[in-house]
Amino acid sequence: MGQVQDILVLFQTSPALDVTPVAWARYEASKGTGIKDLIEEENPPYKNAMAAMRDGWQVIQMSEYNHKSEADGYELGPFPYQTVLSRFSEMQPEE
Amino acid sequence: MEHLISSKDMARFVASGYLKFEDMVPEDLCKACREEMVDFGGYLEVGTPFEETWPKNTALGETFRLPKVKGLIHSLIGPDPVYDHHAAHLVRAQTTRGPDMHQDSVIDFRRNYFDIQLSFFPVDTSDEMGGTFLVPGSHFRNVRTGEIRGYQHVAGKIWATCPAGTMYVWNTRVWHGARSNHTDKDRYMFKLRLNPSSPQIRHFDPTDIDDPEIGRILSTHHRWEGDEHRYEIMKRVELWRYVSDQPDYDIGERFLRRREYQPQNQTNTITN
Repeated sequence: MGQVQDILVLFQTSPALDVTPVAWARYEASKGTGIKDLIEEENPPYKNAMAAMRDGWQVIQMSEYNHKSEADGYELGPFPYQTVLSRFSEMQPEE
Repeated sequence: MEHLISSKDMARFVASGYLKFEDMVPEDLCKACREEMVDFGGYLEVGTPFEETWPKNTALGETFRLPKVKGLIHSLIGPDPVYDHHAAHLVRAQTTRGPDMHQDSVIDFRRNYFDIQLSFFPVDTSDEMGGTFLVPGSHFRNVRTGEIRGYQHVAGKIWATCPAGTMYVWNTRVWHGARSNHTDKDRYMFKLRLNPSSPQIRHFDPTDIDDPEIGRILSTHHRWEGDEHRYEIMKRVELWRYVSDQPDYDIGERFLRRREYQPQNQTNTITN
């Protein structure tokens, strides 16, 4: 059926590629169009983005550093950085 | 007021945004509540005194007036709580759920203020039944409702697995969501959101307020903080200062001092 793109997003508190992700998400188009039954995972699939790169994932986006001002330097919100990785996999029929 | 929570439990609520209490509701009352929940939907009048609004002479009416529950509510939001809303959340048997991470309602920046949600599980809730998940400590991170759905997995995420009669109470800003129910039984979680009607200061039992354990509790790592742990601690200390009425409280390296210690702003009189 050909190969399609899978995406793995590692959410981080530093933009570096060798830091431990604090959250993660998979968008595996090779398997379907969305996760219908989220199975809990205790640990990220890789210890960092570089470990994923050694497993065939290509980095297609890494985060820039954000300037923090006096007004917002102590504020918290979504996780500040993310690394987006891509890999092509064989297309499977969607369940 | 009886059944107030300890200072250490209050610190746990400040640091992690939730507390769990098993054996909160007796078995017979759980059964009666489970039957009532089917027809107990809909909002009552939002923003009215809880005591006047919440139904009486019903199992759910009685449950949220149990002395232990009243003590818990008082500890966190003080006297005369205000009814916000309630709902009986149902995940039917063999229903799967995809990513569902969200923060309730709309973004909420109110400082020195939090609403509580009581989540009551009337039947034994196993891992496979898909009890609500929470990201402990996430309540200082304001986001717009469902925009965090993309965080499919977060290190340190927990979920409700508990015997019948368990109540979780949590800061309504905690990131959370529903999970798949892989069993043949419907799964109910009854939620009740309440607002304070006065400042949330020292309504808990302050007997152990000087226990050094409180500093360690406020420093808790939940696994997802990463490089931002110290910024989380600053938020927790700010809230602890407020609820414990200790405006100079700080811990460890005293991160808040990095903002507050400013001798350059003192007026000096220079003489010959």
